Amino acid sequence: MFTARTFTINGQQYDVAIEDGETLLDVLRDRLHLTGTKKGCDSGDCGACTVLIDGEPLNSCLLLASTVEDRSITTIEGLARNGELTPLQKSFVAEGGLQCGYCTPGMVLSATALLERNPDPSTDEIKDALAGNLCRCTGYTGILRAVERCKNYLEGGQCAKPRGVEPSGVGASIPRIDAADKVTGRALYTADISLPYMVHGKILGSPIAHGLVKRIDVSKAKALPGVLAVLTGADVTDTKHGVSPARYDEDVLAKDKVRHIGDPVAAVAAVDEKTAERALKLIEVEYERLPVLTDAMEAIKEGAPLIHEKYKSNICTTVDFNFGDVETAFKESHYVREETFVGNNVFQSPLEPHASISTWSHDGNLTLYTSTQVPPYVQYMMAHLLHIPLGKIRVIRPAVGGGFGTKAATTPLDICSALLSRACGRPVKMVYSREEMFQYGRGRHKQHMKIKLGVDREGKIKAVKSEVHLDGGAYTSFGVATAYYAGSMIPTLYKIPNYRYDGYRVMTNKPACGAMRGHGVPQPRFAFECLLSMAADDLGIDPIEIRRRNAMTPNTMTVNDLDIGSCEFSATLDAVAGKSAWKDKYGKLPKGKGIGIGCGGFVSGAGYCIYRGQVQLSHEKGREPFQKKSIFPHANAVVRVTEDGEAAVLMIGAAEIGQGSDTVLVQMCAQSLGIPASRMRMQSADSEISPLDLGAYSSRVTFMAGHAVSRAGAMVLEKMKPYAAALLGCAASEVEARDGTVFVRGDASRSVLWAEVARKCFNADGPLVGTGWYKPPEGLGGDYKGATVGTSPAYSFGSSVCEVSVDLETGKVKIDKFTDYHDCGTPINPQGVHGQVEGAIVMGAGETVMEGVAFGDDGQLLNPNLHGYLIMTIKDAPEIFSGVVDSYEPRGPFGAKEIGEGSTLPVLGAVAHAIANATGVWIKDLPITPEKIVNAIRQKKAADAARRERRDEPVTAK
Amino acid sequence: MHIPSIEVHKAATLQEASALLGRFSPDVRLLAGGTDVLVDLKTARFSVGHLVALGGIKKLRGVTEERDGLRIGALTTITELDRSPLVAGAYAALRDATSRMATPQVRNAATVGGNVAGAVPCADLPPILIAMNATALLSSDKGERTVALEDLVVGPRTTVLRDNELLAAVNVPRPPERFGAAYARFGLREANAIAVAGVAVALALNDDRTVRSARIALCAVAPAPKFVKEATRLLVGRVLDERACAQAAALAMEAAEPISDLRGSAEYRRELVGTLTRRALAAAHQRIGR
Repeated sequence: MFTARTFTINGQQYDVAIEDGETLLDVLRDRLHLTGTKKGCDSGDCGACTVLIDGEPLNSCLLLASTVEDRSITTIEGLARNGELTPLQKSFVAEGGLQCGYCTPGMVLSATALLERNPDPSTDEIKDALAGNLCRCTGYTGILRAVERCKNYLEGGQCAKPRGVEPSGVGASIPRIDAADKVTGRALYTADISLPYMVHGKILGSPIAHGLVKRIDVSKAKALPGVLAVLTGADVTDTKHGVSPARYDEDVLAKDKVRHIGDPVAAVAAVDEKTAERALKLIEVEYERLPVLTDAMEAIKEGAPLIHEKYKSNICTTVDFNFGDVETAFKESHYVREETFVGNNVFQSPLEPHASISTWSHDGNLTLYTSTQVPPYVQYMMAHLLHIPLGKIRVIRPAVGGGFGTKAATTPLDICSALLSRACGRPVKMVYSREEMFQYGRGRHKQHMKIKLGVDREGKIKAVKSEVHLDGGAYTSFGVATAYYAGSMIPTLYKIPNYRYDGYRVMTNKPACGAMRGHGVPQPRFAFECLLSMAADDLGIDPIEIRRRNAMTPNTMTVNDLDIGSCEFSATLDAVAGKSAWKDKYGKLPKGKGIGIGCGGFVSGAGYCIYRGQVQLSHEKGREPFQKKSIFPHANAVVRVTEDGEAAVLMIGAAEIGQGSDTVLVQMCAQSLGIPASRMRMQSADSEISPLDLGAYSSRVTFMAGHAVSRAGAMVLEKMKPYAAALLGCAASEVEARDGTVFVRGDASRSVLWAEVARKCFNADGPLVGTGWYKPPEGLGGDYKGATVGTSPAYSFGSSVCEVSVDLETGKVKIDKFTDYHDCGTPINPQGVHGQVEGAIVMGAGETVMEGVAFGDDGQLLNPNLHGYLIMTIKDAPEIFSGVVDSYEPRGPFGAKEIGEGSTLPVLGAVAHAIANATGVWIKDLPITPEKIVNAIRQKKAADAARRERRDEPVTAK
Repeated sequence: MHIPSIEVHKAATLQEASALLGRFSPDVRLLAGGTDVLVDLKTARFSVGHLVALGGIKKLRGVTEERDGLRIGALTTITELDRSPLVAGAYAALRDATSRMATPQVRNAATVGGNVAGAVPCADLPPILIAMNATALLSSDKGERTVALEDLVVGPRTTVLRDNELLAAVNVPRPPERFGAAYARFGLREANAIAVAGVAVALALNDDRTVRSARIALCAVAPAPKFVKEATRLLVGRVLDERACAQAAALAMEAAEPISDLRGSAEYRRELVGTLTRRALAAAHQRIGR
């Protein structure tokens, strides 16, 4: 029943007819189109939907709109007045208080309410006030800084003062170019978009983890008024999809079998989401239950039920790396230690749920709006499934609220929205609930790792051997690559002369795992770093010193044929040791306090693309034989100067997902053009405007897209040089450009405005356009099976020192402080670099001590929400110092390498080491929960007592 | 995650609310802050056709100082209680619960009545209120009655409230001289963490610093808030030394009936109860001062 209601929102009256059961959040977003208020969890756990009610922050998802008619409601749209940002919003923009921006409206509103009540809050008061707003990107560091410095902006202090012409090129910490849109709620994410005549889709997921679909009856759902289309496995293509071309094993909708909770079984389109949800409940499905496998080590046993019948076992990938002679090397080692570690099934939990909108033109072209990290892979997979050419598919990537790997593949929402839209002839929007996100998964593989290390008397590594079982869930997804990465990246950090790795990627009845930040590597890296620190302690060598003795050096070929270029790993070790006062602390802290070291690094983009052939329709074409070179460029850019010469539009399909790629690409392009970044416009969202860039995965964008945009900019400048030379009376080769001025090299007084030269170009030659592209170098990698995984044009290195306090009675860990130094090459935007590091530290520390999807024996997810699955709040986040060491990568754009994924890698080991240092016990299975710590301390006490008793025994016997 | 069709009835008075409850029972729930009810409706933990919204009953809201103690209206939000200037002196122990539960946004909406009468086993207010000897004022169109807080909740989401009865207020008696209370809780995060276990303690001392009264109540380790009666008998008349605290902790551990779940095993919870009891006793004792 609808009732007319009047709301006062941002001082304005809104009259709207609503039902009694509608939340304020849904009324704001769906009825009033005030989409700055975000839906993150719909359960009051994340704070993304925060609004002010009579000045106090509340979760609009937990308020019935019908009960707040007489209250004054403030949304993010109501803060800026006449386009002027509030001092707090300005502070968020300038101080790096946001990345993906999805938590930002709620965060800004909570902080606004605090500052109204308390204009000069302490750090603890700020943390208390923001404890209900989760952020997955920033590590809260920039947010805290923004609120702390707000007063300065309010009073027009130092931070707010214009500082003349700000440098904006490479190396400058300019604010994100999307920051103002994100602090005001103007940035549009996929779920914020409404198309005319649009309807809504939902997917029915399997309620059981393993079973046969015996019968589906959709007649009642179809009969429900408002339902426009219902699809089941019988209605959709038999073509399977996935990520690794060798293993496409996912059905669009279950054909005969379901393999995990939430496995898509049917899809419905209806006039609104509520009706679609009701229709799902009316679909009758009869299942025949099959035995459920939730443990990888059970799934590999002889006789275990097969999850995919067409394969002989539940092992979907076997990796066998064997370099040198590990067995001889172990025999020759002075010290050998083997340990077993177990990781956890971490879920990325971006604040923005996955979302897609599909709409078809009358002539059969699909436009897909999707929250993705990899627009071209989505385009490719949609072409494969829909059996239409790539050119008929337009992918638009609106603002993306974080990905971290869970948005690195084509989702059932992408596919089902397209199919439903085609079936009902209307645009279809589909958005995952928080629970559905967990059921879709693609989080980190839980790895079971047996790892053995042999070193000589000085602690120099002689051999490393590891056997890893990766629990991959029900489908392959990225799993083939994951299994290789878990082995290939271990030898990049330290010199390992003999190395063996046996990897097994195992299917279980859980949501498929995928490529989470650091793809496959963080858990083996954690295991290795722990083992190295154990060895150091056993040998009486300082843990940082043992790392120095084994550290990778520049221009080295690793034992597995990875070509390391620039490498300042040792410098990062020296820097963290000094900055953290390591020598004064390690082994010298009181009980319950601990310090630990961890290191890591990553690729600056994968050397090879996931699909190897041409960019074209692939499903009817056989796989091409592998060649050790890229067939097509991985990053491509076009820059077009406007006709008046005042602005340049950069077009590149590089996916901005919150990491800040739009900003650094604009900076690099502006630098090579010779204009300030403020004169650049970015078009990265639309495949119809921007040429192909493979997307935001394998930490590739700064490096690869950076090359493409700077080459495009350089091409424009080359075209301008003859015209400039004519105006300046010099040779074209003498022309330089910087900050909007073109001048004679060595004599800046002979100059002309950049825009004037650009106009001359246009007047004479028409559109002033430059293009640029990047292919990784040819010949990367060795000649063994799997040699391509881990190849990259450049590698990053980093070291982190973690300091913790542990409550030895309860086991509670407080991560107090992190000191991190990275070799990321030469930073393009230092604030962006530190933002990535800070975010990675908090995410990595969280996954070490509190994160993990839990499953019942029946495969049910026990914590598919943000109160059961814990990510760190602002009060859990440590104080962080992030530094970079001097480094220049000759193969990188302007000397740059990656930071986004590599920054995660040192974290897990550093935390585990610090906890071991504080408690005297190593916890070798993640997450390191308080209960595990307490149990380990108790066991150690008992073991120590038993040992003392045994030692005493002979004495008493005498 | 949409709430199925539902009718919201706004009650202007307690009597009206009670009548509405009676009229629609059992197809009805009360709506106060909504922070639990809305989640339950969205996730279909229960589904009802009617909600009785209490927001309009102004007299249910606010903290007042009465002759015999503090009266906390059931519709007082957790934030209002936390910020109330009346929550001072010995009453301030309530802040151990109000300042740490959930998130600021939830505390701004959630009510004392919801936290108490919602009868969720991990609710933070009931244990400290029980320790402080609070009573619940129950109201219906038939009249009022008072029950001790430890008698209000009988199981998970189950209370002694009758179909047409509401919690109107919680009364916290004025603490005696030399009184101290504290609530120690353990969660897996620094904020927005459901209690894995919690222990509330209220102590009053005699002039000779022996214990005059002692009340201990536990959170999240039993189907309902657990009042540890035996601890009172154990402690009264004694000096609160280390041994007494250890014995009280042992009693509390024994009284706990924890379950194993995602947040911790039963054994770990029991162990936490021991640790938290010692800590809460120490904190309460310290607050008494000299």
